[in-house]
Amino acid sequence: MTTINREATPEGDNIAGPGQLHSDLHEIWGNPRGLKALTIVNHTTLGLRFMVTGMAFFLLGGLLAMLVRTQLALPDQDFMSPDIYSQVTTMHGTVMMFLFAIPMLEGLAIYMIPKMIGARDLVCPRLTSLGYWCYLFGGIILSFSLVLEMAPNSGWFMYTPLSGSEYSPGLGSDFWLLGITFVEISALSAGVELVVSILRTRTQGMALHKMPLFAWYILAMALMIVVGFPPLILGSILLELERAVGMPFFEVTGGGDPILWQHLFWLFGHPEVYIIFLPAAGIVSTLIPVFAGRPIVGYGWVVFAITVTGFISFGLWVHHMFTVGIPQLAQAFFSAASMLVAVPTAIQVFVWLATLWLGKPKMKLPMLWIMGFLIIFVCGGLTGVMLALVPFNWQVHDTHFVVAHMHYVLVGGMFFPLIAGLYYWLPLFSGRMPSETLGKWGFWLTFLGFNGTFLIMHWTGLLGMPRRVYSYETGMGWDIFNLLSSMSSFIMSAGIAMVLLDFALHFRFGKPAKHNPWNADTLEWANSMPPSAYNFVSLPKIETRHPLWDDPDLPRTMAEGQHSLAVATHGRREMWGTDPLSGKVREIVHLPGNSWWPLFAAIALAVVCLSLLTRLYPLAGIAVVVAGLFLLRWSWENGAHPKAAPDAEVAPGDPPLHSRTMDGPGLWAMSITLLANGSFFLSYLFGWFYLWTVSPEWRMPDTSPLSLVGLIIAASALTAGLGILEKLVRGLRQGKDAGLAVGMYCISALGFVQVVITLWVLLTADLAVTETSHDAIIMVGLAYALLHGGLGAVLTLLQGLRVGYGYVGAHAPFEPAVVALWWRYNLVTFWILVGALAVLPRVIGS
Amino acid sequence: MSITMQRLHLTHPLHFVIGLTLWCIWFVAVYGGHAIACSVAPPAPEQGVFTLVNAMLLVVSIAAIALLAVLTVGCCRMAKRHEGRLRFNATVSAGLYLFSTLGVVFAAMPIIGIPPCL
Repeated sequence: MTTINREATPEGDNIAGPGQLHSDLHEIWGNPRGLKALTIVNHTTLGLRFMVTGMAFFLLGGLLAMLVRTQLALPDQDFMSPDIYSQVTTMHGTVMMFLFAIPMLEGLAIYMIPKMIGARDLVCPRLTSLGYWCYLFGGIILSFSLVLEMAPNSGWFMYTPLSGSEYSPGLGSDFWLLGITFVEISALSAGVELVVSILRTRTQGMALHKMPLFAWYILAMALMIVVGFPPLILGSILLELERAVGMPFFEVTGGGDPILWQHLFWLFGHPEVYIIFLPAAGIVSTLIPVFAGRPIVGYGWVVFAITVTGFISFGLWVHHMFTVGIPQLAQAFFSAASMLVAVPTAIQVFVWLATLWLGKPKMKLPMLWIMGFLIIFVCGGLTGVMLALVPFNWQVHDTHFVVAHMHYVLVGGMFFPLIAGLYYWLPLFSGRMPSETLGKWGFWLTFLGFNGTFLIMHWTGLLGMPRRVYSYETGMGWDIFNLLSSMSSFIMSAGIAMVLLDFALHFRFGKPAKHNPWNADTLEWANSMPPSAYNFVSLPKIETRHPLWDDPDLPRTMAEGQHSLAVATHGRREMWGTDPLSGKVREIVHLPGNSWWPLFAAIALAVVCLSLLTRLYPLAGIAVVVAGLFLLRWSWENGAHPKAAPDAEVAPGDPPLHSRTMDGPGLWAMSITLLANGSFFLSYLFGWFYLWTVSPEWRMPDTSPLSLVGLIIAASALTAGLGILEKLVRGLRQGKDAGLAVGMYCISALGFVQVVITLWVLLTADLAVTETSHDAIIMVGLAYALLHGGLGAVLTLLQGLRVGYGYVGAHAPFEPAVVALWWRYNLVTFWILVGALAVLPRVIGS
Repeated sequence: MSITMQRLHLTHPLHFVIGLTLWCIWFVAVYGGHAIACSVAPPAPEQGVFTLVNAMLLVVSIAAIALLAVLTVGCCRMAKRHEGRLRFNATVSAGLYLFSTLGVVFAAMPIIGIPPCL
């Protein structure tokens, strides 16, 4: 925490002028230089880092695509060997989906959301930093496999048994499974904090129905990440356990089922398409009103469409599996659901067209990319509806038609809006304008090259060319189409190179931009260009969807400190915590400053990843403990800790600091984290019941190997612990903290009792985890319970210590309520595990 | 208790997600129920669509449609009684409930035409 030695000034009576305010705020929020730049947690800097890193991975993915097209340009080519070709195609898909599309859009959201909602940062800045480092390290580890010629080669969806140890004995699959899981920490981190930031830190008065549409889109995307990514994390853990230890989750002979992988992958994979599309559509819904010069037609319709898309997209996963032998009736359910999802997308397209129709569109450079998006994406959407029809899907399954459709949806639905958005916000990033000439050349080359590549690929697919083949014989009728596709892909590359050149050159040669150059309506343009580290000198009251159109003077009055929280003498990083529905101010959220802990934790996690990859399991165990210690040390610097907010003083009339309330954003962050955790747990239960029901060689013993008595005693200890914790939290709500420390130690002891008994049940069960999937999946379930129980016990132990240090108590009652959420979750999942693993098999039998 | 009641009120934005959550639960129930029924007691193919499995799936679907339709009407009525933010919430919720209702109708139609487990 930075200390500024001047008297605090009450709101509305600012003795400090705008210059002094800026200076004070800069002292608190400003970024360090040199080595300490690694400690930066500011959303503007980290958002840019995400985007720059994402573009670097995009170049890698693009280079791989060029290699693929070179190989396929002519029949009977031997430019690449089959194995290298498989590595290249697998890594092209993996890099583009996991290392470019998601992080790039998350980076844009991380950069833009606080500025749009009138906040000074995201609500968990250190989490942003951890997310970035995990992304960077995970991406480097995964990409390095290409250099070693050990890259994964089973396709970007890693179907088993091809990706299993029998058919992929090298390290390629391990690079994918461990690297992607590492990178997903980043996606989940961003997902959690974007949700909480949008719901709880909008500026005063910005009710839910006045929020910028981009924030609605990002809210949906972030929630979808939170729910959609855990199934893949579970699948990756199970497959890595199968490869490393031999637990047969996906091997039929051991009672597993390879189709389980497909379910887990596509439970993630299909929503993933919409996770990528929604933020891009958010860019479109932001830009079209600005360039049409009028509010969007049907704000409510767009909110409706976003919500429908967010849900229905989770009901489509089986349409990727129409050919695996699922009954016709089940296929029909998914076929219908796949058609349903076209409805909200069509609503958005009509809203955009109506807004353009009723406005006076200006065809500036960003709009050119939006028009390209509309054309390409509508075509991709239509072929999507075709693929939803089961008989057609069977015909073109695994052909280039599917590849073409996917690129129309993803490049049209994500890349074109992204470039539109980057051109639109470029003046905000740099204070300079891009070159219209270079930009237009870039657009037309990309647009024509793209359609030349992928429109033709539909025909290649309809002529029967399968995807993922490294070569083909002449005389199949595919030669000319492949040649044209390859030539066009190089034209597209030239266009993209021109765009990137324009981006790079504009930082030095671009014309200085005037303030709010596009006459936009949203708050990000009230920033200086480029923005300061704290975004706004003062935080305004916003009760309109178009703050800058309704009050063009707002940027000036905000910069002069005429609105709220224009005080910096306390040395805290502060912004509003508001009601999620009405936008009424509830509390002042104080944020942590720059920190080494996220970087240290990410380095430790990278060591875990590398040591698992190289099978150095003792080192992996040590690194896990070290990472845990770093994360707990990070959590120590919160609330009333000297580095956080030891002094709770606020200006007269202001609400309290969030750490002095019972409902700060941390509570919301824990809830959203548990939502992700719940998704993981439900995926696990799905796996257990799926194998039990469907797996052809499933073997369940006549008597359960688990001690029911032991598990019930463990669950009872957990129940008793939570009971005491709830009582203590109720006391804190009433301002009572007598016996708080002792209570926390007792709860912790009960938590450890649960862990010890669960461990005893596990060890005495004598599980044959490498022989049957039944035993293996029980092992995973109990390990999950042990991890959660152990962490719950440690957290309450730390709470007891924090009471002793004076960081927690009636004056700072926030943290026990957060820990109680973890215990509640732990209790519910543990009892469910007892029921699913120990009671149901006894009742139903095998 | 009062907070819970506020959240259940049809002008609360929680209803943005309740209808579609019900749709998802229905969807998982019919897909999972069909899979389990086929695993435990698959009907004879010559029965066609006139099976207990189809009947049960249809009953579950009709119940879901009825519940969602009631909530649609409720939100429509509530939207007329309010202004501003509360009206916005109820109107969007009504639309989402209507979509969910029609979503169940549309996705359940195969139950009356396709035999199970084949």
